[in-house]
Parts: sequence; C-alpha cells; structure tokens
Amino acid sequence: MIFDSHEAYLAANFKPKVCILGSGPAGTTIARKLGAAGIPVVVLEAGSREFSDESQDFYRGTTVGDFYFDLDITRLRYMGGSSNHWAGWCRVLDKQDFEPKAWAPDTGWPIRRTDIEPYLPEVHDILELPDFRPDVPISDDIRWVQLIKSPAVRFGEKFADELDKSRNIAVVLNTYATELAGDGKRVTGAKLWSNGQDAGAFSADYFIVCTGGLENSRLLLWSNQRSNGGVVPNATALGSYWMEHPTFEGGNAILADYGEFEVDAVNEAFFSPTLAAMERLRIMNFGIRLIETPYAGVKHVIADLACTAPDMAEWVAYRLSQNLRCAAQLYVAWEQAPLASNRIELSKTDVDHAGVPRIEMHWKKSELERRTLVEGLKLFGTTLIEKNLGRVRLMDWIANSEDYPTDEETAGHHHMGGTRMGTDITRSVVDANCKVHGMDNLYVGGSSVFCTSGQANPTTTITALACRLGDHLSKVVAV
Amino acid sequence: MCFFKKMSRRTLVQALIALPALSLFRKLPEADAARAGPSRADPSPADPNEIVEVNGWILKRSDLA
Ligand SMILES: Cc1cc2nc3c(=O)[nH]c(=O)nc-3n(C[C@H](O)[C@H](O)[C@H](O)COP(=O)(O)OP(=O)(O)OC[C@H]3O[C@@H](n4cnc5c(N)ncnc54)[C@H](O)[C@@H]3O)c2cc1C
Repeated sequence: MIFDSHEAYLAANFKPKVCILGSGPAGTTIARKLGAAGIPVVVLEAGSREFSDESQDFYRGTTVGDFYFDLDITRLRYMGGSSNHWAGWCRVLDKQDFEPKAWAPDTGWPIRRTDIEPYLPEVHDILELPDFRPDVPISDDIRWVQLIKSPAVRFGEKFADELDKSRNIAVVLNTYATELAGDGKRVTGAKLWSNGQDAGAFSADYFIVCTGGLENSRLLLWSNQRSNGGVVPNATALGSYWMEHPTFEGGNAILADYGEFEVDAVNEAFFSPTLAAMERLRIMNFGIRLIETPYAGVKHVIADLACTAPDMAEWVAYRLSQNLRCAAQLYVAWEQAPLASNRIELSKTDVDHAGVPRIEMHWKKSELERRTLVEGLKLFGTTLIEKNLGRVRLMDWIANSEDYPTDEETAGHHHMGGTRMGTDITRSVVDANCKVHGMDNLYVGGSSVFCTSGQANPTTTITALACRLGDHLSKVVAV
Repeated sequence: MCFFKKMSRRTLVQALIALPALSLFRKLPEADAARAGPSRADPSPADPNEIVEVNGWILKRSDLA
C-alpha cells in the first residue's frame, strides 16, 4: 500500500510491527524483506513521489573544511531517495576493505565480506546486475577490477507497484520523522511532520533509520539531544568518521593495446591495488578509471610526451595516425582514512522548516589520502612499464604537489560513516547486526554504518547489508 | 621548459604525425637536453630499466633515449 499522506494512512488502520524511516535503496530493501516474511512494516518517507524544491530545501546545510557539494544537491529527498539520480556503478567492497590496516587507525569491520556474500544473488536481482568476474591481477601490485554499469535502478519506480499491492507493507509519503524519542533502552516513538505541520507521534515495536548517509547522523544526533541521550546512549562516535570517495582526474596514460582491458559495454577499465601493495606503501585502497581521451586531448598528450620521451611520442603519433586509440584520461577515486574529525554536527544557528537543526559537516582530506593518490598513480605507471602496457603522466597539480583543484568532480556523492559498525562503543554506534549499541529496538540501514569506505561505489554493499539486516530482523521480530 | 614547448602544439603534433622517422627529436641540442631534466643530463651510465619521473611522466630511463 502506498499512501500519499499521513492522514490517509491513519484512516487505513494498519498495525505495523516495524517502522522504517526512508524509502531509498536501504529502506525499500529492508521493507521488502520484512514484507516477504509476513511482518507488517510501515515506511515513512519524508518526500513525495516526485522531486520538489520544497522537499529538497530540508536537505540544505553547510560544510566546513575542504570544498564539497551543496548538501541539498548531493542527494534527493523523495520516494526512492538518491537512487533517483545515481549513476548505477556497482561493485561490492573488497575482502581487504573489511580487514584492519596497521597503518591506518580505526580501520576494520566487525564482519567480513563473507558475511554479506550470501546475499549477493538477491542484490543482483534487485540491482539487475550480471555476475561479477573475479579480479585479474596484472602484477603483484595492481588488480584489474570490474565495476558494472548497471541500469541504475530507481527504487521508487521499480518497486512502486509491488509496494502498492503489498498487504504487509505501507509506504507513507510526505511524512517526515523529525525525531525519535527513547529511554536509553528502547525507542518509544517518532515525532512526525506532515503537510507543513506537526503530525503527532508514531509508535512501533522496532525502528530502522534509513534516511541516507548524511541524514542518519543528523536525525540521531537531534533525537539524542532532545531525549538527553535516550536514543543513542553511547554517542561518542555518533556523526564521526564520515567518509567520501574523493575523485579527481589524476593524469593520462598512453596504452600499447587500449582494447585489452575493455570488456564492458561502457568501454572503461578500472584498476586497484593489491593488499600487498597497500601494506608496502602504507596507503588506502583506490580505483583508477581509464576513460578514452578525445582526439584533441591525445594530441596534447603526445606533444607533452615528445618533450620528454621522443621515441615514445613518435610511436604514439604513428598509432594516432592509424586511427588507433592510444591514450586515456585517468580518474582516481580513493578510500578515505576514517577520521573522527570528519564529522556531522548539528548547526547551532540554522534549522529547517520543521525546526530541526541543519547539518554542519566538517570534512578534510588527510595526508595519508594524498599519499594514496600520488603513490597509487606511480604504482600504476610502474606496473604499465613493467608489463609493457604503456606509460602514465601525472597531472601538473599532482606532480608539483599543489592543492587539489576546486573546479573538478571532487567526490562521488557517496556519504559513508557517521553511525559506523563496531564492537568498541567509543568508536562505533551500531553493532555487527546494525543495532544501535545499548538499544533493544533501534537499527540503522545504509552506508552510514560503513567502518571504511573501500574504493567501490557504496550502493551494492548498502543493498547487501540491507538484505542481511532484513533477514536478521525477520527472525528477531518473529519471536 | 623544454625546447619543444616553444613550438605550437598543433605544429608539433602535425610534425610528429607527418614524419615517420623522428631522428630530429632524438638528437636534442646539448643545451636543450640539459634543460629537459636531471635524468637526461646525468652522464653516468644508468640502468635503462630504472623508473624515473620526468615532467610528470613515469618512464623507464631508456624511454628518454
Ligand atoms: C549524483 C549521484 C550519483 C551516484 N552514483 C552512484 C553510483 O554510480 N553507484 C553507487 O553505488 N552509488 C551512487 N550514488 C550513491 C547512491 O545514490 C546512494 O548510495 C544510495 O541512494 C543510498 O541509499 P540509502 O537508502 O541509504 O539513502 P537515500 O537514497 O538517501 O534514501 C534516503 C531516503 O530517506 C528519506 N528521508 C530522509 N530523511 C527522512 C526523515 N527524517 N524521515 C523520513 N524519510 C526521510 C529521503 O527522502 C530518501 O528517500 C550516487 C549518488 C548521487 C547523488
């Protein structure tokens, strides 16, 4: 059932056991799992079926530190959430992403990749993915990895019919959960805002917060403040260890056989480091993406190369004259070191229309990350030489150790951390089952639970974790 | 700055494409060779497989020949 207003929902007299906040990939997946298990579940969605400026306005906020996107641009607040404009790149986090790294504090998850692997067949159905091929090592240092360009499922559109017909799932649109109330053991209810006014309180046996990788922290910080610590009793890490995938054009490559690494329809190839290389260089994970350089760009690369390595330039010029592709732009996205100082706070001055403080995000890239970018590109360049595959040129700002450019992509719109998973209650917010430490009936879904970000886009892992949480809750709630 | 940057890039690329044998580019005048970076000016015999970074390029020393 889908209700366009909270009033319409009330009239239906539906009795849910579980209340999910948010209908993005995480919330929708968990709801479908619970619905399939015969558990009555309500999904409260702040937005409506379509985009609206009024709804987006609730997402405005500020950033302190490095340049970042406007917070109302980098996500969408309506049914289906940010899946309404995601690009559809898919890959599960690597096995090594779950392991602690001696050279990077606060890394390591309380679960392993094998804990989510059983859910991958479901994830493939949901995201309409073909099977992933295994990584191919091209040297001891570099893996040729696969990111699948999926059809970019819009969760709101794809599942609207199924949700509407479901007897166990009620999706309630235009219903903003402004805060949760709790007594330090249980969430006792949610306060709602609908049609521009207070819409009373909502109760259910279980609450699952799936409001997105920025908003999960905001809602819990505000709820905790209002209930004097009654919602997240161990709140030291709440809002902290927030992460993105910084993304910049890192350079160019001249390739001996461009076609060798193109297997996907999108004609793009991706490379990442091996764990051994990360350990040796003490760097984080990264992904180098090869995108064919347009003709004019190739000429520039050749001209530049001719200044330094004329023989090579000659060879490339020859290939270009034969209409052969020979050059690529290298985009690098990398894993951020988890830092408590990268965090979401509540604004002290600015509130939204419902009176909830807006986000003040503190975000800065670290030295370790800069090293990851530089060493990563050099590693890739060295590998191409050793394997006789080509040559790499670093962008001037990287070779000359200048600041990050501010006129580029900057990051992936991937909002991770803030309610991270862990066993240490001073460094994490949820346990291995995504349950808030110390609370009996409060869970979190989405990438805010990520302990580390790896290099892969997050939604495949978000969906796998949501399937796992859905299964877990089905058992817990059925008892 | 290297010698070739004085030419327009367009001219250079056209020259590169037109000329099948670019011996011209291989024999830099000594002064320009010295300006092309420390690795080029180094007179000591060096491992041709050594990885060097010149003008942002990650290269094998032998690439600089
Ligand atoms: C431009 C862009 C491109 C992207 N490309 C990729 C990509 O290629 N690959 C990839 O893996 N990821 C990509 N992403 C990220 C991807 O969109 C997110 O990872 C994913 O949507 C997160 O799902 P979620 O369910 O956790 O949160 P969201 O999708 O943010 O959904 C949260 C939902 O909660 C609702 N909500 C918020 N607050 C409340 C509240 N208080 N009460 C009730 N409801 C609330 C919102 O309206 C929204 O519907 C991209 C994102 C952007 C912006």
